[in-house]
Amino acid sequence: MMKRLLTLLVALMLAGPVLAQNGPLRLRITDGVIEPITFAVPSFEAESPQAQQVAADLSRLVVQDLAGTGLFREVPATAFISQVSSFAQPVAFADWRAINAQALIVGAVTVSGNQLVVRFRLYDVFSGQELGEGLQFAGTTAGWRRMGHKVADAVYSRITGEGGYFDSRVVFVSEAGPKDNRQKRLAVMDYDGANLQFLTDSSTIVLAPRFSPNGDRVLYTSYESGFPRINVLNVANVGRQQLTTAPGEMAFSPRFSRDGRQVTYSLSNGGNTDIYRTDLSSGQHVRLTSAPSIETAPSLSPDGSQIVFESDRSGSQQLYIMSANGGEARRISFGEGRYGTPVWSPRGDLVAFTKQNAGRFHIGVMRTDGSEERLLTSSFLDEGPTWSPNGRVIMFSRETQGAGGTSSMYSVDISGRNLKAVPIQGGASDPSWGPLQP
Amino acid sequence: MQTPGTYISAIGHVGLIGWLILGWGFSAEPLRIETMDVSVVTGEEFEAMLQAARTPEPGEAEPDAPVVPEFDETPPPAPTEEEPNAPAPPPEPVEPPEEEVPPPPPPPAPPVADVTDVAPDEPVVPAPPPPSPDVEISQRPTPRQADTVASTISEPPPPDAQVDDVVRDEVVPDDSAEVEVVEDEQEPTAPEDTTDQIVIEDEAPSGVVETSMRPQVRPSRPTPPAPEVDEPEAETVETPAEPETPEPDVDDAVAAALAAAGAGEAPAVQAGPPMTGSERDSFRVSVNRCWNVDPGSVAARVTVEVGFSLDRSGRVEGNEVRLISSDGDQSATNTAFEAARRAILRCQSGGYQLPADKYDQWKDVVITFDPSGMRLR
Repeated sequence: MMKRLLTLLVALMLAGPVLAQNGPLRLRITDGVIEPITFAVPSFEAESPQAQQVAADLSRLVVQDLAGTGLFREVPATAFISQVSSFAQPVAFADWRAINAQALIVGAVTVSGNQLVVRFRLYDVFSGQELGEGLQFAGTTAGWRRMGHKVADAVYSRITGEGGYFDSRVVFVSEAGPKDNRQKRLAVMDYDGANLQFLTDSSTIVLAPRFSPNGDRVLYTSYESGFPRINVLNVANVGRQQLTTAPGEMAFSPRFSRDGRQVTYSLSNGGNTDIYRTDLSSGQHVRLTSAPSIETAPSLSPDGSQIVFESDRSGSQQLYIMSANGGEARRISFGEGRYGTPVWSPRGDLVAFTKQNAGRFHIGVMRTDGSEERLLTSSFLDEGPTWSPNGRVIMFSRETQGAGGTSSMYSVDISGRNLKAVPIQGGASDPSWGPLQP
Repeated sequence: MQTPGTYISAIGHVGLIGWLILGWGFSAEPLRIETMDVSVVTGEEFEAMLQAARTPEPGEAEPDAPVVPEFDETPPPAPTEEEPNAPAPPPEPVEPPEEEVPPPPPPPAPPVADVTDVAPDEPVVPAPPPPSPDVEISQRPTPRQADTVASTISEPPPPDAQVDDVVRDEVVPDDSAEVEVVEDEQEPTAPEDTTDQIVIEDEAPSGVVETSMRPQVRPSRPTPPAPEVDEPEAETVETPAEPETPEPDVDDAVAAALAAAGAGEAPAVQAGPPMTGSERDSFRVSVNRCWNVDPGSVAARVTVEVGFSLDRSGRVEGNEVRLISSDGDQSATNTAFEAARRAILRCQSGGYQLPADKYDQWKDVVITFDPSGMRLR
């Protein structure tokens, strides 16, 4: 026995160093830091005299897009050690490492008539490598912002590994006037509030606009006939038509299916509200719920197989998930207060919602099984969440208290950080974030 | 030629001389041998002691004291070796034995003679004499006490009281020493120490009063020696077994270790000491402070394992970091890997601070970046 123990001990003592010698040093890191990634964007090179202003504006737009996410922080130009005078010149990485710029974006802009061409390259400064390959976008000078958003999206995507959302638009309800006589119009804007356009006049009350999956159409509820009706509006030509819904008194809260061929909505008939689906091409209607309670605000999962909706069947307003074809639903919200306006994340892993509890409203998210509920905001009235195309940001409307209270739109990262107002003049509510533009 | 008368005369003289010689020696020895009477006297000593205690000490004590000095004078020239002869002289004065019989009184006697002031303290000492109970143990104490008393009385005189005190103090240390010896006896060297002390005890009696106490201690010693003997034997039995077998075991272990290691070669020795926990932690911290995690990203759900090599200055060779494994999809893996690579390269600056003498330990590094603890919850 003693011999064996001694043999084992000696073997371990001798084998340890040998093993340690033969294998690499192994470490496990579980705690990192949460801070913006630093980046530098020297003003894009203007390859033609007419491109000077556009190059400068476009460079600043890229910076605004990236820095606006809260995930990146710009290294100011005043800290630059070297300048990039030519898009083709080698990058002096040491100079950028010295100012702790982790990413470097260099670009060039060419303007020929009303044609605009933008090229850019993205470098990982500390590895001295280029991330991806250089890209080039061509368009009109009038669309320089979109080209700037495109560059920012490409940079964002290459660094984060996720799709961008800068070259996207948001349809919403523009509001004007006092609360007791508020005028509402459908409007559309770039995600950052630029390029505002109105889609309807203020002659009728409009509610709950929803972009189609490809952004070419908008569903909205109109009280033009005195009763809520669902309309389909063509964004390109502002042409609209009323959706043929199942017989009922009121149809509202519509959403496109993921393929854009069907519309799921709520229909109130005889005091009972249920969820229906209508095929746009055939006009066929399918009733998905038949409970005596109020079921509304349906939102399809990314794969179109399930629907999350709100219902008061339990006595209070809660969230449920059921098959896209109807059937038994399972409750996913169990917290205190009332839950409403659920929206399934484009990623498919989360559901955003509005929660009313203790006199305050919150925008929150939870996993599709109801776990890991997190409230991202809190105010007198927050409601109507909508997801960015990449499922990373939530935009919603916030109304201030009092007779003179106004409504405006805010965005917040799903981490709860980077809450900020969407810069737009006038009141705005009920946003619907469209897809990335082609 | 001589006449028959001369023969008769010579024979007569020889016979007379032989008779005288034999008769003289024969008659002398028997008288000396009668020292056995002393033992008889010891039996009376008890009565004498009782009587001595009752009878006035001065009368007998004084005469005893002078007698004792006589013995002291004789012993000096002849050390303890004369002890065998000692018994011879005592016979001359028959009383001495009687005086010795009162060995108990002697203790009180010297004090009284030398320092009366100190005596009061020592009377307490008589308490030890009560070792009379020890007498029950064996008769050995009595004869030895007689011897030691004779010797001690001669030397102690100067510092009697002090010596007595010391004796008591020493008794404790002796006991403790013995205990220690017992402990030491377990060690291979212990037996030698004990024997030395034993010799000292035998010699000590002549020098110091300690002899009075050692008889008491001795009984306990005999016992320790026994275990000592046993232990050494056991040790000897084991030690030969250990040294013999261990050597081949170590060789076997080395051979087994080398075989298990696949190649127990010089590099293992050159590797030097392993990285300490603090060194590893320091390295880990220096990397994770540059590991930027986006909790809301899909990449935050991916764990990647990356590897790289460091030069002796602690810098990543060629700035090359390779992906070893991942548990995510392609897109998320790329993002997670790039974040890990940025962390490693960004924080190396002038080179990671690592122990130069352990370069072999950290020249190749594999780091697992696990963001599971940083995900949004």
